[in-house]
Amino acid sequence: MKKIPQYLLFLFLGSLYSANLESTFLVFNHFDRDLPAAEQALVDNFNNSTFEFDPSIYHMFENLDNHENPAASHMVTIKELGEKYQVNYILFNRIEHIDDRFILNGLLFNTRSGGLIHRRKVDLKQYLNGQINELNMWVGNTVGQVEKNWENNRKSILFSGPEEINYEKTPRGAAIRSLAAPGWGQAYSGKKVSAGLWASTESSLSLAAIISFLNYDKAAKSFKNNSKLYHGTNDEKEVTNYRAAAENDWNDHVKFSALAIAFAGATGTGWVANSIHAWIVGPRAYKNLYQKWDPKSTNTTG
Amino acid sequence: MVRNYKWIFVSLLVLVNLYGQVKLSVKTIPKKVNVMLDGINIGKSPIINDRITPGLHKFEIVKNGFAPITYDILVNPSQAIHLDFFMNPIYQVKFKTQEKGLVFELNGEHLWDDKFIRLDLEAGDHFLRVFKLNEIIDEQTIHVDEPKKFNYYLKKPISEK
Repeated sequence: MKKIPQYLLFLFLGSLYSANLESTFLVFNHFDRDLPAAEQALVDNFNNSTFEFDPSIYHMFENLDNHENPAASHMVTIKELGEKYQVNYILFNRIEHIDDRFILNGLLFNTRSGGLIHRRKVDLKQYLNGQINELNMWVGNTVGQVEKNWENNRKSILFSGPEEINYEKTPRGAAIRSLAAPGWGQAYSGKKVSAGLWASTESSLSLAAIISFLNYDKAAKSFKNNSKLYHGTNDEKEVTNYRAAAENDWNDHVKFSALAIAFAGATGTGWVANSIHAWIVGPRAYKNLYQKWDPKSTNTTG
Repeated sequence: MVRNYKWIFVSLLVLVNLYGQVKLSVKTIPKKVNVMLDGINIGKSPIINDRITPGLHKFEIVKNGFAPITYDILVNPSQAIHLDFFMNPIYQVKFKTQEKGLVFELNGEHLWDDKFIRLDLEAGDHFLRVFKLNEIIDEQTIHVDEPKKFNYYLKKPISEK
């Protein structure tokens, strides 16, 4: 009865021990282009693992998928190589380039069982040091040591999600600028003519509103002054003059008051309209496509 | 005594069952995407040290704003499988033309003759074909890398320039 937990503990430790192998690798690199930094990159980046490189053997791993059981197709040879080089794993990396893409095919064999234990096929658009980076990620994945900057390097070639796209110039930016100063948003969007038109219209309307207000203020003050003088004199001529002047001032003050309100209203409405216009014509991503295909061509595809 | 043997048998069955399964890890770009395995949500990515039984399985990965991924896989008895999925974003694209009588075809499947349409397109290259009076007058590849508006123009004859 007491032996049961010991038996289970033995099983557990046994399985734990078997899973915790030292990482010694025999590496076969087969690249269709020269990647002189590849071997050194593996040695530098994975200090806890030991690598032996042998460029001579790679033919045996080609057409692996043609075998009935790819994972067990080279068990005897893998075991023999493991014994010969005293390594735990055999790593085969093949990189092929096709136009602007490259394909990394990675195979990891365990020399104890002779079987294929890990496989990776990556088909990616080329990016700066992409081959070395992908090699690091693949080997890092097998030894459980993937660095953040490798992942970030790979992300650099991926399309951004719609919410991650940052535009340098936006319609909202244009609208805010135009709200601050009429025409600025249009100028920011590269619409120089409409920027000039909005700026001149708004400044003319503002100027007219200010002039009207100043005239209204002047007429109101003059009216008060003439009214005071009118009430302060008994001279018939002066009474007539002051009355006529006060009446003129009254008419002017009414007229300029109406004009100031009209111009101020027009300025405010125009200001808002100018901001909305800036948003409408604001900078947006666009591309012009021009007919390219030559209709005289004999190509009748499709 | 018979009971003890049963105990050992059950423990062994559990161990064999555990070791019969294959360790599964799934990573996606972008992260935090719901991963469905055979129609069951197994959590948000990255998924590490989950388990999968050998055999045929179907992965479905769906996120708003990205093209959904469906991936059928035959899992062989092995130690572990590690899957990386790169999700391709979908951008809203506007397509406009002032030309008359044109019919557009995208990727051999979408057809339209409107002067202005909105399309949800996967990021990447798309093949555009333009027809006029049932004849192909243009073929070109358009590259979609952000929400964008395309304006299409016909090449004018030299006399019209």
